[in-house]
Amino acid sequence: MNKLLMTASFSLALIALGGCTNKSVVRYGDATAVETTNINFGSTDLQKVASQMTDSLLISPVVGTLTANTRPILFVESIKNKTSEHIDTESITDSISTKLLRSGKFRFVDMARVAAVREQLNFQQSGGLVDSSKAIAFGQQVGAQYMLYGNLSSIVKSNKDKSDVYYKFTLRLLDLKSGLVEWADETEIRKTKEKKLVSW
Amino acid sequence: MKTLFTKMNALLLTILILSGCSANSFNDLFSSYSQQMRGVKQAQNQGNFQQAISLIPKRSSHDGSYNLGLLEKARLEYLAKNNNQSRKGFAHAYELIEQSQQQAKIELSRGLENVAAIVSNDNAVRYDIPLYEQSMLHSYQALNYITQQDLSGALVEVRRANQVQEKALKANSDSINKSLANANNEKFSIDNLPQQYPSMNRTIGDVKNGFQNAYTFYLSALLYESAGQPNDAYIDFKKALEIYPDNHYLQQDVWRLAKALQMTDDLALLKSTFPRTITKKNKHNNNQGKVIFIVENGIVEAKQETSLSLPIYTSHNDVRLYNVALPSYSNQLTVYSPLTLTYQGKHYQTEEIVRLQSLAAKQLQDKLPVIITRQITRLIAKEEIRQTLARKGGDIGNIFANIYNIVTEKADTRSWSTLPDSIQILTLNLSAGHHMLNIDINGVNKQIEVSINKNRQTLVTLNSIGAYVDYSVFNL
Repeated sequence: MNKLLMTASFSLALIALGGCTNKSVVRYGDATAVETTNINFGSTDLQKVASQMTDSLLISPVVGTLTANTRPILFVESIKNKTSEHIDTESITDSISTKLLRSGKFRFVDMARVAAVREQLNFQQSGGLVDSSKAIAFGQQVGAQYMLYGNLSSIVKSNKDKSDVYYKFTLRLLDLKSGLVEWADETEIRKTKEKKLVSW
Repeated sequence: MKTLFTKMNALLLTILILSGCSANSFNDLFSSYSQQMRGVKQAQNQGNFQQAISLIPKRSSHDGSYNLGLLEKARLEYLAKNNNQSRKGFAHAYELIEQSQQQAKIELSRGLENVAAIVSNDNAVRYDIPLYEQSMLHSYQALNYITQQDLSGALVEVRRANQVQEKALKANSDSINKSLANANNEKFSIDNLPQQYPSMNRTIGDVKNGFQNAYTFYLSALLYESAGQPNDAYIDFKKALEIYPDNHYLQQDVWRLAKALQMTDDLALLKSTFPRTITKKNKHNNNQGKVIFIVENGIVEAKQETSLSLPIYTSHNDVRLYNVALPSYSNQLTVYSPLTLTYQGKHYQTEEIVRLQSLAAKQLQDKLPVIITRQITRLIAKEEIRQTLARKGGDIGNIFANIYNIVTEKADTRSWSTLPDSIQILTLNLSAGHHMLNIDINGVNKQIEVSINKNRQTLVTLNSIGAYVDYSVFNL
């Protein structure tokens, strides 16, 4: 009887322990949900910067006149990363150019793919596989009229109680013909993290 | 007798559990870090970096010295020119530094570590990477990015290094203020240490601002200039010059940029302090580029363990001698002969920009009061253990306690010990095109081919450890 009780309680304990061990779970989340894992530049900052900048650009009256009868051709120069974090600024410019293209008011040339385009045209012209009458000839592309460029800078301060980071993102639209900056705007983000008092 | 053994077992168990909780490896209880790293440094000295990497003691990620292991490995990977591996290692170490800075103000696990340290030794406390080591981390990381031709990545590291240096400046002024405030009621000062403890004054030398790293400033100035930010470069050159005011290459750079940026006030001030040879030449050849040599010499010396016998009065007024182990550095610096560059019959010599041995010794000197305080607490705790065991177990207990106390009394000799000892620089303006440069370092002759671009910089990083000499050339 005693033995039975022992085994029963032992196996019960085992089951209880088994229940305690936590399993790792995979879940789908909202891609636009606010992310606050740590104080570093994150997805929420990227989304905020990209959406504010495109909104500002699209509703600006200057751009309204630029796009009145035509769809100007833009190219994105890189966003200069002047922060103290390794940030993929190409991802920011990708978001901005995608949003602008979606609006239907602008057209883009992609400078990052020039080499690939050249290789393809070379193949069509001299590969010997493509019908030469249908091959795309060199020198037919359209050049950009405007350049989009910007800076991302940050100021980081911390003391024993909290850390504070301030990001400033500046974006400008430059008319390549006249050299005039037609539009500019900036977005600021401030994040602070206060330290916990006690932890393990 | 039986109760004695259970008591001893209980004690051993507590120590093991404590050291397990604070998660340092069992090895650290009985052998010091310098002893564990001896093989690694020997292999590094012979230029066998892969062998050195394999000899680094393996540590779990819960280990208190895990971050230090990462630094050692990443540095050796850098020397072995596995820059990608090195970059990953440093990035991981930086992540850990960031995490520890974001930690809560009171960490219970740290309290436990301190308890473990009191019954064993200081190696049970987790290793906090000191600021001078952090500045070196970012410097190497910047060079790792340069090898991948990622200037903007390197500049990120430069900015991080700058934050570290600012922190170092602030920490130093804080500690000066504090020591001024407590000057009168200070219980313990380094001057009160027994004669047996070696003075490190010669090692620390007269490094002004021993807490800031002039090399890191210099490297960041170089990279800023390459990125077309001469004003930022000027600031960092000046900061480096503040630390090494007699370095001619720094004087040249500061003078050149002060003229280019028209810093009239600075120019007037600099003219009175700089030697005539630097201020008089102002012919600037437009078809020239600059070659920069960064020469790393030797390996920083490991911390040693100094055993002291402190006489302490017991409650019965008899004197007892207690063994205490403290970390220290030897009181002398290795002298490195400078690299000599010969070009068109003229000789040029490198000049020192940082002495890491001095920075390390200064760091230790600053931490000494804390180490000694903990040491005294430990003495009392260990004596308490001995007395209890002696009372309960007679002679056997006494002997056991004494053996335990002696064996576990190990100084905390942890520090980033694969760093170079001294770093020197040399710059030379050359006309654009290819050049063959003859260098001579420690009797080793080498010919280095460099390509100079107009108004650009060419960086040569050279490592000289013992008879091992190797270099890499980058066009910035």
